[in-house]
Amino acid sequence: MPLLEALRRPCDPAGVNTAAPVDHDLAARLERFLARELGADTVRVSGLDRSTEGFSQESFTFTSEIRRGEESERREWVAKREPEAGLLEPYDLEPEFRVLHALGGEPGILAPRTPFFSADPALLGRSFYLMERLEGRVPLPAPGADGGPPFDDATREALAPQVTGALVALHAVDWRARGLDFLGDPGPGRAAAECELAVWKTRIEHTGLRLQPILWDSLRWLEENLPETDEITLVHGDFRLGNFLVTGSGAEARLTGVLDWELVRLGDPLEDLAWCSCALWRGGTLFAGAMVSPEAFAALYAERAGRDADPERLHYYDVFSVVKMIAIMLTGTRAFLDGRTSDLRMAIFDHQLPFLYALLAATRGWLPGALP
Amino acid sequence: MIPPEKLIDGAMRTLRERVLPDVGSSFARGQAYAVIDVLNNLRDRVEIKRAFAEADALAASQALDGVAAALREAGDASAAATLEAAVAEAASGSPEARAEALRRSVIDALAALPDHPEAAREPARNALRGYLVSQAIRDVAPLKPSMLSEISRGEASETSPGEA
Repeated sequence: MPLLEALRRPCDPAGVNTAAPVDHDLAARLERFLARELGADTVRVSGLDRSTEGFSQESFTFTSEIRRGEESERREWVAKREPEAGLLEPYDLEPEFRVLHALGGEPGILAPRTPFFSADPALLGRSFYLMERLEGRVPLPAPGADGGPPFDDATREALAPQVTGALVALHAVDWRARGLDFLGDPGPGRAAAECELAVWKTRIEHTGLRLQPILWDSLRWLEENLPETDEITLVHGDFRLGNFLVTGSGAEARLTGVLDWELVRLGDPLEDLAWCSCALWRGGTLFAGAMVSPEAFAALYAERAGRDADPERLHYYDVFSVVKMIAIMLTGTRAFLDGRTSDLRMAIFDHQLPFLYALLAATRGWLPGALP
Repeated sequence: MIPPEKLIDGAMRTLRERVLPDVGSSFARGQAYAVIDVLNNLRDRVEIKRAFAEADALAASQALDGVAAALREAGDASAAATLEAAVAEAASGSPEARAEALRRSVIDALAALPDHPEAAREPARNALRGYLVSQAIRDVAPLKPSMLSEISRGEASETSPGEA
């Protein structure tokens, strides 16, 4: 279902997901599902754990012991399930599943193999998909325990070209040939920016929360300054530090996966570049993704993609990125206010929002020196 | 902004539904119930400090006065009078209601900028922009360092700001 269509669905204040809780026997349900899908005699699930990372979809990690006759195999999985309420509601997991199913395991793109999806609420209570668990840790866009940056110099220097390469590979996917045109081609000119702005403006309006004047003014600025592009690519939508899987450190550091594909669609590739460079994800450093200066990141991307990283267009998406994050936080705040979630993490956005409004002022160039 | 009683209700609900079921030690469970008891008795005794709304209302009315002055200077007395009337109308009521009404007037003033006489646009825009920046800084000032890292990891950091 296209996002705009999904957004037009009325929001059920009692919660769009009314299935009975099934988490008490989640492991048994996963065992039955996997045994059926894999044609196994038995599947045993162990180490089932709900991940604390990720504020949107629910993520569960687990190990499966798959038995067929005398043979047995261990496989690591991540189950992504639609949340009871969340930051990107209303949810529809199917488009991202179809993209992950098509691209998973492909060299360069680093998307996890994602074989299974079900919208049947009888299985896990809500829609879900299963993907293979990739090796690695998820560095956060925040200072480390010692207050230092997420990466040392050698690690960030090793990772920067790999992250750039993954973004270039994603943007190079021939989405028509891969059958991904169901995502909806916005078309040439200003349409990509216009469609994307409409989506996030609708999300903001959907919350029914009062607009801060600076947000109102920035939405108008975005409408009045829509950039043009005739080059439509796959856009990850949340390509940034916090969604990267990494192994090793120093010169041995390797990017092993790119996660959280729920905002994937067709659009302007520079939107991903700006989002990844945004001050939100610099982990207390001056660097895009805590790795490399925003200018160097843009230059590296432009060189490897063979695509102009137009500074004016990037600035537009810088402002858009902050507005998008504000929209996400307002959505979480709304879910909390409606009592549709008992996840208190939704409430913390209420006091994170002023930082975002200040960042918006800085990104608009009104707080000189506030941003690197 | 989420009203404080809503935040406290949410914190109590989270403790009951998300935390207590996973707390094994009876002493720790007793402590969690004590936190709920404290919060439950706090919820009807707290309110947002009025000084925040008063400062916001003052800054917004000064910005709108600046816009009105720019309009008068540019010869649009009628638009200036409309704006001044909106500021005067917002003068009564609680600081929260005043701040809310004046924020709406700021948005109206931003929307009207393209219709103003050329000479008034730049000074009016500067007055309003000054308010937007001051509001952003004012709202950030009382906030505590983020614990997003701890929240995301589910672990305390060595320098947890919550203990500062």
